[in-house]
Amino acid sequence: MRWMPIDWQPQGIFLALVGLGVGLWLLARGLADYREATRIGDTSTSRIATLAAGEVQVSGVIEAAEVTLISPLQSASCVYYRATIDGADDGIDIRADLEELGADFFEERAVGFRVRDESGDIRVFPRAARWDAPTTLDDSTGLMGDEPPGLRIRTGPAIAPTGLGREAAIAALLARPEASPDFRPLVILGGGAHQGIGGGDRRRHYREATLSVGDAVTILGRALPFGDLADPAEADFAVGSELAPDDAEVVGDIAEAREAGLLAATPEAAWGNAGIPGFGIGHPVRAPVLDPQATALPLGTPEQASEAERRFEIPSEALVLASAPDAPLLIAQGIPSDAVERREGRFLLGLLGAIVAIASAMALAMIVSGALGT
Amino acid sequence: MNPQSVAAAFAVGLLLAIVLYIGVASYNAVMSLRQRIDKAWSNIDVVLKQRHDQLPALVSAVRGVMAFEQDVLTEVARARANYSPTEPIPDQAVHSDETTRAVRSLFAVVEAYPEIKSNTNVLDLQTQIERLESMIADRRELYNDQVYRYNTRITTLPTMLLAPLFGWQQRPFFAARPEELERPATDL
Repeated sequence: MRWMPIDWQPQGIFLALVGLGVGLWLLARGLADYREATRIGDTSTSRIATLAAGEVQVSGVIEAAEVTLISPLQSASCVYYRATIDGADDGIDIRADLEELGADFFEERAVGFRVRDESGDIRVFPRAARWDAPTTLDDSTGLMGDEPPGLRIRTGPAIAPTGLGREAAIAALLARPEASPDFRPLVILGGGAHQGIGGGDRRRHYREATLSVGDAVTILGRALPFGDLADPAEADFAVGSELAPDDAEVVGDIAEAREAGLLAATPEAAWGNAGIPGFGIGHPVRAPVLDPQATALPLGTPEQASEAERRFEIPSEALVLASAPDAPLLIAQGIPSDAVERREGRFLLGLLGAIVAIASAMALAMIVSGALGT
Repeated sequence: MNPQSVAAAFAVGLLLAIVLYIGVASYNAVMSLRQRIDKAWSNIDVVLKQRHDQLPALVSAVRGVMAFEQDVLTEVARARANYSPTEPIPDQAVHSDETTRAVRSLFAVVEAYPEIKSNTNVLDLQTQIERLESMIADRRELYNDQVYRYNTRITTLPTMLLAPLFGWQQRPFFAARPEELERPATDL
């Protein structure tokens, strides 16, 4: 029997390059985590009741504010989710930047919430925050096409109102969610509604990370009076607009419109029913003006009305947590020591990555110079 | 330059980059800690000043009714007069503790005067000062925790290697010095 000589050079070069790339990537991630671990570990945790404005770290439990989210893959009620499906069919409409990353479906979303410690609670505006959330679903389609047991595709709206009251909350919990007639959950999986979930011939990998009401979190960021937040909802100008709100032409146009009486005096006058607190979540605090043909919404009780007013009204001087241009919010699951420990673990992995990168570079050099060629 | 030399240079360069990164990150971390300590102290200083400003109003509000409790009132006034924002932090801690004790004594005595307890002005002042006392306690804890983190960092690796280079010294806690906590023995 004769053995054919195998040329290991192309495979060796490929493996060495992969090792080099992975090692350097792990190192870069580890060094970033080292910095973040230092930042969290070096900041004392403040009590919310006696919080002072400025950079702070608070640790507590998440409480819902006005609304919560429903996650797309587990239908879990949460304040943040990041859902990914790899391996979905090609018909799916995805963003070009995600396509480059190799993700077939990607969605990340957050809503404002409160965090409570033993002394009090504070409102969090998570816009532009960095999240460190635990993965709550990480599973794939089975060999027989069976979907993972934890998968429960969202069949209703992505947002759920909170503060329904005890009875309503129990009823909502017991009620079976009804899919809207035109909702096709498989659209996000890239399949047609006529196919079963496992009807496609490609296996899918599902990943979802969530932070829910009741989870312990550590938040590092800036505490500032609500009145100092610069238009948190970006309601005043279109997203992506290059015009600054203090642009001379814009200011001139607004002044002209105001003089001509074209600008409404109140939100209700400008937006109609949408200006009534609670209208968007089915609990208006005042009777909306409706088309006579429309189904009238039941009005909330005076208690519900005052509760809704309280929920949506944030005093201008109340401290809130939000991102600053130079210091984005960091929202990490668990108590501070947990958050630090996770980052230190990744830092050690990064150092291992450096060793892998150096070893790969050595191997590559030897292959190229012929010492390990064949 | 042969490939092995390039690989060796890469390895040395990578290790140097890691060391440099950790050095710069450690330096920045210490600078941030110093800023946080200064901020934490400023937050205490603001509340000490507020309490200093509130106490005369409280004393004058209760003075008329508490004519026979001059000792308590004098103690509050004396403790208040010791406040000096320019003295060292441990001394300020001693004087702050004295003021807290004097204020607590005053509140305890006020309990015995129903006519004062029903006075809204006094109740408001009492609530405000109690809130300030609570803030001082919380912010003191935060300041001391921040100082603890700083002192620990500059005395542990890798930052302790940089401390002599930059002259980093330990910061004082907002607490009385141990010798000032000693009390004369009491023979019961």
